[in-house]
Amino acid sequence: MPEPPIGRRRHPSRRSVLAAAGAGLGTALAASLTACSSASGGESRGVTLTIAWWGNDDRAERTQRALRLFEKEHPGVTVQASNSDFGSYMQKLATQAAGGGIPDLAQLDYRQISQYAGGGALLPLDSAVRDKRIRTADIDTDLLRTGTFGGKQYALPMGRGITGFAYDTKMFKKAGLRTPRPDWTWQEWAEANRRIAALGLKSPDGRPVTGANDGGVNEDVFETWLRSRGGKLYASQTRLGFSEDDLTEFWTLCDDLRRSGATAEPKDTVQAVSIETSPMGRGLAASDYTWDAPFPGYTDLLGDQVRFCPCPTTDGRQGSYFKPSMLLGIGANTRHPEEAVQLADFLTNDPRAGAILGFTRSTPPNKATARRVAKTLEGSELQIYRYAQDMEKYGLDAPPAAPPRGDVAIQIAFKRQYQRIAYDLASPRDAAREFIDEAERELRS
Amino acid sequence: MSTVSTRSPASTDPDSAPEGGAPQRTGRRRTVRDKQWPAYVFLSPWMIGAGVLTLAPMAVSLYLSFTDYNLFDPPEWVGLRNYTEMFTEDPRYWRSVGTTLLYVVVAVPLKLAFALGVAMLLKNLGRGRSFYRSAFYAPSLLGASMSIALVWKALFNDGGSVPEALGWIGIDTGGWVGNTDLAVFAVVLLTVWQFGAPMVIFLAGLQQISPDLYEAAALDGAGRWRQFVSITVPMLSPVVFFNLVLETIQSFQVFTPAFAISGGDGGPADSTNFYTLYLYERGFTASHMGYASAMAWMLLIAIAVITAILFRTSRSWVFYADEEGGR
Amino acid sequence: MNLAVKRRLPHVAAALGLLVLLYPLAWLLATSLKPADEVLTSLDLWPGKLEWSNYTTALEGVSGISVGRLLGNTVLIATGAVIGNVLSCSLAAYAFARLRFRMRGVMFGFMVATLMLPHHVVLIPQYIVFNQLGMVDTYWPLILPKFLATEAFFVFLIVQFMRGLPRELEESARIDGCGPFRTYWSITLPLSRPALITTAIFTFIWTWNDFFTQMIYLFAPEKFTITLALRSFVDTSSMSAYGPMFAMSVISVLPIVLFFFVFQRYLVQGMATSGLKG
Repeated sequence: MPEPPIGRRRHPSRRSVLAAAGAGLGTALAASLTACSSASGGESRGVTLTIAWWGNDDRAERTQRALRLFEKEHPGVTVQASNSDFGSYMQKLATQAAGGGIPDLAQLDYRQISQYAGGGALLPLDSAVRDKRIRTADIDTDLLRTGTFGGKQYALPMGRGITGFAYDTKMFKKAGLRTPRPDWTWQEWAEANRRIAALGLKSPDGRPVTGANDGGVNEDVFETWLRSRGGKLYASQTRLGFSEDDLTEFWTLCDDLRRSGATAEPKDTVQAVSIETSPMGRGLAASDYTWDAPFPGYTDLLGDQVRFCPCPTTDGRQGSYFKPSMLLGIGANTRHPEEAVQLADFLTNDPRAGAILGFTRSTPPNKATARRVAKTLEGSELQIYRYAQDMEKYGLDAPPAAPPRGDVAIQIAFKRQYQRIAYDLASPRDAAREFIDEAERELRS
Repeated sequence: MSTVSTRSPASTDPDSAPEGGAPQRTGRRRTVRDKQWPAYVFLSPWMIGAGVLTLAPMAVSLYLSFTDYNLFDPPEWVGLRNYTEMFTEDPRYWRSVGTTLLYVVVAVPLKLAFALGVAMLLKNLGRGRSFYRSAFYAPSLLGASMSIALVWKALFNDGGSVPEALGWIGIDTGGWVGNTDLAVFAVVLLTVWQFGAPMVIFLAGLQQISPDLYEAAALDGAGRWRQFVSITVPMLSPVVFFNLVLETIQSFQVFTPAFAISGGDGGPADSTNFYTLYLYERGFTASHMGYASAMAWMLLIAIAVITAILFRTSRSWVFYADEEGGR
Repeated sequence: MNLAVKRRLPHVAAALGLLVLLYPLAWLLATSLKPADEVLTSLDLWPGKLEWSNYTTALEGVSGISVGRLLGNTVLIATGAVIGNVLSCSLAAYAFARLRFRMRGVMFGFMVATLMLPHHVVLIPQYIVFNQLGMVDTYWPLILPKFLATEAFFVFLIVQFMRGLPRELEESARIDGCGPFRTYWSITLPLSRPALITTAIFTFIWTWNDFFTQMIYLFAPEKFTITLALRSFVDTSSMSAYGPMFAMSVISVLPIVLFFFVFQRYLVQGMATSGLKG
């Protein structure tokens, strides 16, 4: 086979071609980067709405059923639905937002609200909320506020979630530990991890069982810890709400626990992408920080001895809060805002839709629906429903405003910086300093 | 139209090697005067595609590389700031460059050596060759899907088959996936494992070497190794070069295997954060598309320079049979 | 006897090499039959218990779309891509290899340079183009580029091959009064069959495995490909179904394995045979 003919002397000409093209075509196409056309969807007769979400097959199946019901009651409206896995969904939605508009309705993560609302990708819903085309009376006001940006309502919560620990009651008992109460403290939690590790239990592959997954990589754990001390992650859309000292203290706590063998090894922590791959799922830890919605997965995998307990407190103050597990927004470029609003209201408030959707996106935001659907729950699902009720009674601080735009990058940086500590590449202090630098740069831009 | 008349010794012109000799040059000059429009008809699909789907998007990305563009708001001109930030303020950028270079330097030779070795082996197989060929190609059919990534993790994890097997011969590595020094090699081995494409190209090249040459050498008493060094290597050098260039280009852009194995974050602790992975994180996850575009252009330039260097050195070791034969 | 051993040696070496090489595939196959709790934790190749239900679950498809439909969609896209690449890349390659025209060197250099640009950064501009053309959520963004010879690798490959073909036949055809189109169609193209087959095979396999483009451009689940559906099986933010995912991933590679086993002999044979014999 002959040689590939990329020649040295070709380069000048290639560059000049590109330069010329850059000058001409660049500006033309760049202009259209901002000029948006509407989302896709063939319009034959009547109205076609598009809706997209991430999630598993069960959620897809239930959502589809609810959508069919909506179509039946709104003749002439067709709903085209699409779902994918979380990672793909995020990438796809960002491309759509940049390249011509997101679907008419889109499921959003809490972390996306500022970016999508601030970037003009979402339709403000205030007028629809005001004239009750979207009913919000049955939604908790604090929860509803998580869908706001700059004082305007851009998204509706689709579910309400709360964090806690999935823990193995047998191991706790064996270590002589009490059932964790809503007011247990971080010190007690640390001690519990140490006592479990001291039992000298072995995992299926013969390695020591630790107390918990290492929470140092998880920004959510840090937020819970921080809030229990009265702090917060963000002071505003452009400022962090904590200091280098706060973070150093947290990471030192995590670092010490891990070093003493009380929490999982770094090589196991980095591989935790699901329940099955988490240290607890692999039999390497007795507990795992998690959300309420995925909790039943732990009992399915590990058995009924796994229960759900509250996050530790600082002198009784709980850091966890009710968070929108996901939100629903309407694309700013929708050609059918009227119908989109109807569908949003239908999915949020219609009792039959609520019955179909059940707890597939955590506790339904509509309190009446939640109460009704809760009667059908059993086992681990009932357990987490009661857990949420208990926590409500115990008293939680209101959720913070939606995290600022840079939060997605900051969350990743958090994980990476702690990994540097775990792999002995940085001290907690150094990593905290670098993290704060990075985060502040992210928030400025 | 100067490209036709000037020819460098190790010709890099698209129409060089096979034609060679002087007589054709006159013929060529005649064709230049021929009508040009048929060429443009042949090229029209490519020209449309290159213009609309490649050149214009490339131009946009070049423009974006001088802007602050968060995917949502209009791009904002910032001059060279992305480039200066990349070079002076971003340690992760340089770490990703280092990781990528390590990857290229290890993966490319290893993969080519593997591909060549297996191709040589297959060439000498009589019966069953086509079965073996297919079987050796099989890993390359799979791409880097989620399931392959999971299998790979299982094999390289603590207690997985690879560390176990290494343990038998007295090498204790522990799991590779959660190890910041070894994770990158798990990715390397995944690409090396899928050596099918260069293997096929090598096989094709090997079959093109005339058996007469080997027979003559055997008559002269040359052994296997001698034959390999004096016949196979020089005769195959254009193919080696072709594979080398393409694999190098592809390796600089390695994305999918690392993305799949690290779960998308280039971890642990950035140890598999290859250039394109970092570019992706900056562009799509952190929504700094301007910065990502600047990174892409630096990569393009770097690859172009390295390719040029490869061509430079190729003059001393790539042997063109056609040139020899044409003399 | 010594001779017999020598003859066997390559076979033994090949068989041993293969054993190592196919081990991960065996693992994939075995995992597709493991029960849920073993899929990610078990260190044994052999499943503790054969879980055939992974396959029945996988065969049900995703989001109500059957596996047959998903495979059909994928075949459709891959076939379109193959036709497009073979046609358009050979046209462009013929021009680069055989015809003279202004700016040829520059264009060729540009074509090769496009191999070097990471595709992530042209993704959004390309998306804008297809969105403006109203082609999002159709198969066009996946097939049309192939008809426009955007895959430089194949243009490059065919150019290289065509340049290796002897010119005599084309010369005599021209003397007989054949224009470039006749020459291309009835002489060069048939002679280039090996390179075209290589293009076809690689295109088919790569299109089959190309998750990224499909993910960006397809919206409606009934248009999804098997590769895309495979992703939906595992959603890390919800409960996952790894066993069926492995089963489906085995199902999804079967067609390309089949395709490859049927056509592979043309692949190498083809790339090696110089023009006259082909």
